[in-house]
Amino acid sequence: MTTKDIGPKNPVEQGVAQAADYVDERSGVKNSGRWLMFRNIPAGTSWFQTLGFTAMALFGMQAITGIILAMYYKPDPNTAFGSIAHITNEVTWGWMVRGMHKWGASAMIVIVFLHMGRVFIWGAYKYPRELTWVTGAMLLMMTMMMGLTGYLLVWDQKAYWATVVAVNIFASAPILGPYIGDILRAGPEFGPDTLSRFYSIHMLLIPGGIATFIGLHLYFIIRLGISEPPWAKRALRVQRDEEDARRKAARNRDAGLKGSVSFPPAVVTDGQEVSR
Amino acid sequence: MKKADKVAYDKDYAASKKNGKPFFPYAIYKDTIIAGLAILAVIVLAITVRAEVGEPVNPATTDFIPRPEWYFYFAFELLKIFANQNALTPVIMATFMVPNILIILLVIWPFIDRGPERRIWKRPFALGTAVLVTTGLCYLTFIGATTPEGVAKGETLPLTGLDAAATTGEALYLANGCSSCHMIKGVGAPGPGPELTNEGAKGWDNAKMVQWLKAPLAPMPSFASLPPEDLDNLATFLNGLGTKYK
Repeated sequence: MTTKDIGPKNPVEQGVAQAADYVDERSGVKNSGRWLMFRNIPAGTSWFQTLGFTAMALFGMQAITGIILAMYYKPDPNTAFGSIAHITNEVTWGWMVRGMHKWGASAMIVIVFLHMGRVFIWGAYKYPRELTWVTGAMLLMMTMMMGLTGYLLVWDQKAYWATVVAVNIFASAPILGPYIGDILRAGPEFGPDTLSRFYSIHMLLIPGGIATFIGLHLYFIIRLGISEPPWAKRALRVQRDEEDARRKAARNRDAGLKGSVSFPPAVVTDGQEVSR
Repeated sequence: MKKADKVAYDKDYAASKKNGKPFFPYAIYKDTIIAGLAILAVIVLAITVRAEVGEPVNPATTDFIPRPEWYFYFAFELLKIFANQNALTPVIMATFMVPNILIILLVIWPFIDRGPERRIWKRPFALGTAVLVTTGLCYLTFIGATTPEGVAKGETLPLTGLDAAATTGEALYLANGCSSCHMIKGVGAPGPGPELTNEGAKGWDNAKMVQWLKAPLAPMPSFASLPPEDLDNLATFLNGLGTKYK
């Protein structure tokens, strides 16, 4: 035993320590947690690489405000509008929670697109991170679908008719379109079940999908490591190859100037020059 | 990427990780600051620009302005671009071809751009695609945010030669929000629906027009909830546009 165990211990502290040991003995959470938090990332990691975490934080905020809104919202065509008015005008801080959920949706779209832009510009989707990009693309589309399904829930004229038009657009697609339209509307027409269907899609189906894909996305990021900025100080292989080619060309030019002297050519193997 | 490039990348990355810094606190503190600022911005917006309570849904009245959230404006404007082609073009191009091409491109992009080069100025094809798509989306979103939403209350259409039925039809046209998607002689939104200034030139009879209003081609919503005599007056008005009513 280590020296920490010498001396009397507060019974509460002792209990907590014992409970932590009990959990750790069975889960190994101490080691994996330590590895997760203190694993190395490239030293050049930039401020631009905070956008993914920010998108995830906003999703967390949307989940929390969404849970609070669901406590008051009624997904029924006769009472939905009234419950929105109730949340906005009567519930304590209700206007605030609704405002945060509404603006949080826009913020999430903006951040998700900026995050995608960063990954694209940096070429961070290249080997070995191709599948991280694919899971991210799925997350982008699910985020857009959240916006579409959430818009109807407010159940005012603008949202209603905009969603009628949007669902008509889905339904007009060839082959699968009519089926998708029927699935979204819960039938051939907008009816009493359409609202509760959108509610279920908005707060159960897509959030489940987003949570799953965030898990996959994080798994890939942790397994492969966060990418390095392309302008990192330590030159990448392609840059080293360029340097080598430049040096070789300069040397050949010099050799040419000397004229009569025959110069042994440099042999290039995998970016490393070996002169014979 | 060739095998040698992969091996080289793995080696490079392992070296940079070895000389790196621990995730906690070096990445976490930046993440926390930016995420905190984003949430703060949302809270400030929620307080300053309050979420409003609109008009309750009434499926029987169609005096609506079908505007999506701002992040779908690009799709909405795409419909307008193809609005004045024949009836099927907007459906096929704007609602199917263009969005699906974008979605497929998005998902398979890492399998298109596979070279070892990561610096954007050395990837002209990727840079070009990014500039093209970003400019397109921003432009369409801007247009969607700035175009008028239809006619103002009390505004009338600059038409002459209207008889009794057509006057009723015109009133119905204005009251039912048709002008938030269609334009007649420069009045109304320039899409997503086609311009109707010369609608009468098609030579449809009222029965055909009423049938269309009840079950139009998507994305136009159905007007089957209107009373039969209203539909008939609306059809008289529409079928005379550009021929009787100029």
